[in-house]
Amino acid sequence: MSTSATQEPQLTKAQQRKMRRFDNPWLNPKLLWGAAILIGIMALGLIGRLLWDTELVFTGSGPLKLPPIGFENLRGQSGITDHPLGTDGAGRDVLSLLIVGAPNSLYVGLLASLIGMSLGIFLGFSAGFVRGRVDDVIRVLSDVMITIPPLLILVVFQSAYGDVNLTMMAVLIAAFVWQSPTRLIRAQVMSMRESGYVQMARLSGASTFHIMFKEMLPNLIPYLFGSFIANVTTSIVTAVGLEVLGLGPQRVPTLGRTIYEAINAGALIQNLWWWWGIPTLFLALMFIALLLINIGLDEVSNPRLRKL
Amino acid sequence: MKRTLTLTAVALAMAVSGGAFAQERADTVIFDLDRTIKDPENFNWFTSGTKRQHGAHQSMWEPLFILNYTTGELDPWLATGIESNDDFTEWTLAIREGVTWSDGETFDADDVVFTANLALNNEDLSQREAANLRSQVASVEKMGDLSVKFVLKSANPRFATENFGVRIFGSFLIMPEHVWAGEDPATFAFFPPIGTGPYTFTSASTNRAIWDRNDDWWGAQSGFQELPEPQRLIWLETGGEESRAQLIASNQIDAATNVTVGTLEAIRAQNPNVTAWHEDYPYAWPDPCARQLEINTTVAPWTDPNLRRAVAHIIDRSQIVNVAYEGTTVASESMFVQYGSMGAYIDAIKEAGYGLPAKGDAAAGQALIEAAGYAKGDNGYYAKDGETLSVSIHVNSASTEYTRTIDVVVEQLNRAGIEAKAVPVENGVFWGEVLPFGSFEMSYSWLSCGSVNEPWTSMARYTTDSVVPVGERSPGFNNTSRWDSEAAATYTELVASMANLAADDPKLPELVAEAYAHLDAEVPFIPLVQAAKLLPFNNTYWTGWPTAENAYNHPAFWWNSGHQIIHNLTKAQ
Repeated sequence: MSTSATQEPQLTKAQQRKMRRFDNPWLNPKLLWGAAILIGIMALGLIGRLLWDTELVFTGSGPLKLPPIGFENLRGQSGITDHPLGTDGAGRDVLSLLIVGAPNSLYVGLLASLIGMSLGIFLGFSAGFVRGRVDDVIRVLSDVMITIPPLLILVVFQSAYGDVNLTMMAVLIAAFVWQSPTRLIRAQVMSMRESGYVQMARLSGASTFHIMFKEMLPNLIPYLFGSFIANVTTSIVTAVGLEVLGLGPQRVPTLGRTIYEAINAGALIQNLWWWWGIPTLFLALMFIALLLINIGLDEVSNPRLRKL
Repeated sequence: MKRTLTLTAVALAMAVSGGAFAQERADTVIFDLDRTIKDPENFNWFTSGTKRQHGAHQSMWEPLFILNYTTGELDPWLATGIESNDDFTEWTLAIREGVTWSDGETFDADDVVFTANLALNNEDLSQREAANLRSQVASVEKMGDLSVKFVLKSANPRFATENFGVRIFGSFLIMPEHVWAGEDPATFAFFPPIGTGPYTFTSASTNRAIWDRNDDWWGAQSGFQELPEPQRLIWLETGGEESRAQLIASNQIDAATNVTVGTLEAIRAQNPNVTAWHEDYPYAWPDPCARQLEINTTVAPWTDPNLRRAVAHIIDRSQIVNVAYEGTTVASESMFVQYGSMGAYIDAIKEAGYGLPAKGDAAAGQALIEAAGYAKGDNGYYAKDGETLSVSIHVNSASTEYTRTIDVVVEQLNRAGIEAKAVPVENGVFWGEVLPFGSFEMSYSWLSCGSVNEPWTSMARYTTDSVVPVGERSPGFNNTSRWDSEAAATYTELVASMANLAADDPKLPELVAEAYAHLDAEVPFIPLVQAAKLLPFNNTYWTGWPTAENAYNHPAFWWNSGHQIIHNLTKAQ
């Protein structure tokens, strides 16, 4: 074996294992790790609901300011098994806050991004493929919108409007995340529309709709995925930003709102670290997962990024 | 090289200014302000906005009297006394001699008569103290340079305390005639302001106001009081509880507004110089404004008294005490503040069977809702004709105390089947737009506040003569519930018959109970808990803060009585 003329490069076992991974770019470790963390958070939400009493998420359902098991608070009380991650200043159970709140934050991000992407895909294709007036209008609109800081507008809107629910918040955020995908897709479509297979499809009399969404869209999938994940991140950041300012939904628990209440009630000075620390940790995990997925998707669409 | 020079210069400048500040800090008292100063260049206190509690009425404008919560007496300030005739319809005020405005003009009966007439002749002057005087006084007359006679529309044994005594928060402040004459009192900005107090206005922006001592103050020259020790007073908007706590723990402010008990314990662990009203748990001072849920009785379905009573049954006061106040207060037994001086009236109400339970009775509330034709749907909420029984509760977002109380109430209502939600609004919007104009279904505040040693003041705030349509401003925040039924009319008559009885009249408790029957039946508002104010005071730079042991007066430093606190402060050694 070792004297064979057409020798394979000398690789260690580990490198060979890594090489094999390139057989399927979707199985790269970054993507897998990111997805695993996200699925873990979702699983916590789904399975947690079955195993844990989510009614504990409401004000006054337990003793106040209990620490997690194994810790003591300033008053010398130690954690109890009824509330393994402790309780907040209004007697809400931190574990159930995570079970209910973490998926809520993801939900807002996913929904806002989904709506934003759909809008972006539609507008981007229309602008890039139809050109002319349509392009002008869409381009100018997205260029203008991209300069407007979304948080500013949303803060004004939500403080005027008062209580909003999660879906409403997602729709509002979606109004600010369609511009980048629109521009990105428009650019891609404009370069693609002159390529051979599109010309062919046009010659064979395919409708504009067919060309746009049946011929061209599949080629953009990795791009769209990457853009989608980036949008989810932006949407969650925006949603959490609003919540941390106290402008999110009032009674529905979210991670951002928990942090807002902790800050507002003096949790830092009282050393109630579990109240703000655990939700912050979860948000950090969520963002790391999304980042990993994003990098992973980049590797899928751009083989040069794959490293040994 | 050039860059190094610049850096050195900057560092040097910082060191110099830092040094200067450190020197001044020991002569400065920094108070916490829990709100934004919307219009820092407007000092027309007759109109709404933050015009007084940022130092103006604690350091620049002085009251005529200050009600002493410890002795129950009026401590004379700009006035020396006030006497009524036998039937309490005419009151003669004696003004202190030797008082001058900070610009040197004399303060005398002309200023008092002028300011009183401003309030009497201008319906636009909306602040409670102006509206109150307007509703009570028929005419005002100068009797001499230091004597003024008020002729009332009807007998009022409480006239002096109510209008000039800083009973709650403010008092009717006298303005300088030589500045205000010829101006439109509804729009005049009064900038720069002047007053008679020992401090003069230096500067203000939206988040702070600065006042410097006037060493020529009349009081020191005439022997009324010594000059206060602090040379500079600053009111600083600190934001939420966390920043307020960090600032006082690190000695950057000297007095903070309300914090929760856990926060006070944490502050004291870091800075043992910080004290409160009581040395130990529960630390808090019982504020005279008992907390309640206001109900707008003109908004369906809350037009139905039975539904309002249902809400009253559902609310569990002991849970509010435990969760929102961490045990630092007690449940209200009636609309009144539970001071010893109010005991006779509260007892009369309880004996008549209208006392409020600490525990909630959700079943009784649900029975009333069902009797009104509602049925519980699959989602757990009551509904009638396809309309879910829901309510939005407006709450001032300025303090954790407020929002958390409403969180608890919202939770209790939701569990009982009413789809309640909290609507937090900014302090200025809450007091400026939501409450006075009735743009709420329910809201959290303390609008029956007023009585401290007699029952009439609080009860008179819900009479029908204060009812205005939604969208118009309730006079002096009275009857914002817009309670205007037949029962309300009977109630109004009963309260009117109490008006000219002195506080020690034996008929009074009986009348209170009789009138209270109508409040109990129709529930235009729901008393919740007694207020507890936990005010951290920092003894690092200044000592002499009011405490239960040193109770020269109560500790509400944002009130017009703040003058007394400032005069009592001495430099810590």
